Amino acid sequence: MNIQEYISSGIVESYVLGLASPEERIEFEEMCAQHPELVEARNNFELSLEEQARKNVVPPPMGAKEKILSAIQQSSASKTSKLISMEPTTRRSSGLRWIAAAAIILFLVGGFLAFKFYNENKDLKTELRSSQDAQAQLDQRLKKMEDEEKVMNDPHTTVVNMVGLQGSPLSANIYWDSTSANVYMIVKNMPKLPSDKQYQLWALIDKKPVDLGLFDGGEKVILKMNNTQKADAFAITIENRGNTGGPNLQELQSMGKAKL
Amino acid sequence: MSAYTKYSEQELVALLLQQNDQAFSYLYDNYSPALFGIINQIVPDKELASDVLQDVFINIWRKIRSYDQTKGRLFTWMLNIARNAAIDKLRSRPYQDNLKNQPLAENVNSTAANSVIGPQVNDVGLKKLINKLKEEYRVLIDLSYFQGFTHEEIAKLLNIPLGTVKTRIRSALIQLRTLI
Repeated sequence: MNIQEYISSGIVESYVLGLASPEERIEFEEMCAQHPELVEARNNFELSLEEQARKNVVPPPMGAKEKILSAIQQSSASKTSKLISMEPTTRRSSGLRWIAAAAIILFLVGGFLAFKFYNENKDLKTELRSSQDAQAQLDQRLKKMEDEEKVMNDPHTTVVNMVGLQGSPLSANIYWDSTSANVYMIVKNMPKLPSDKQYQLWALIDKKPVDLGLFDGGEKVILKMNNTQKADAFAITIENRGNTGGPNLQELQSMGKAKL
Repeated sequence: MSAYTKYSEQELVALLLQQNDQAFSYLYDNYSPALFGIINQIVPDKELASDVLQDVFINIWRKIRSYDQTKGRLFTWMLNIARNAAIDKLRSRPYQDNLKNQPLAENVNSTAANSVIGPQVNDVGLKKLINKLKEEYRVLIDLSYFQGFTHEEIAKLLNIPLGTVKTRIRSALIQLRTLI
């Protein structure tokens, strides 16, 4: 069948009027792609059909247009309202999401702050403790100095000047409060001793030596020695470290008479 | 004849694709009387025909994306939407129920086979042309075009071979072509 026969077979009208079967439609569309004259024939029939229809118009009822326009707006609105109707869920879930996000942020911030505050608190406690320690140390030192000062200024205090014997450069002062029995010693100069040796202060009471404490040498230190109520004289010897026995008088370094 | 050039039809389609309200309003003003004419020829009840018209334009609005300019003119596309919507209405349950509730005398002419030659073929538009066809053609065009019966259904209804239905419809269309 040539194209002219095809065109005049009624297929054009059948296709345009929507009466062609699906197979016929596919075939017709393929033929159109190949034959411009078929397209022209189709177009001509379409135009005459439209012209025919325009000769036989029936005015739609009044208000039909408004109905259609509002239906379209509703349909777009219902599209929108579908979206809107989804929105509460979306909004709720997005609300939940926000709440969840906020909760997480709060949790993290809270955690961070708690951690920060915990650490700061810990640091402050440490600082406070070290301050308190320092304070206690200062208090202790102050009390010691006050005691020392009290001893030194006390009218009952006896100051005994200890001078080194046999050319020893040893020099110290003993402050002895006979009322409180406190004994302080200010070491002005005492040569350093080998590490197994220590100086020892003695009080001589009725010619008998009483231990007032072992100490290391040094310069310009104030030492609190053991208390003694009585003392005729003071003596400093060099003893073995941690000596518990009596004085080694061969190593007598200094003697000082307590003036009572 | 149509006041729309090929170009303006393309323009109209382009605007409709953008969901342009004004273009749609213009489309309605310019095409609805012709489409309502067609719908009326299939669904004579004005109120129902008005419902169909509403469906048709809503469908045009929604389905404009499926319109393919290479396959035919915009009017042809809309005409087929209108025809299909009208036939759907004709076959819809409420419509059929409504017919059943009507007095028998009216009902008789409403059944497919009887309505073919009956008064439903009114004397306007395409139907006026169809009335000019040979009667054997007229029946076939009315059943296939205006009532949407398939060739197979027509063959059964009229008790004639399927091949004959096909040939006669083709012949009817060729004759229609000369009348338009």
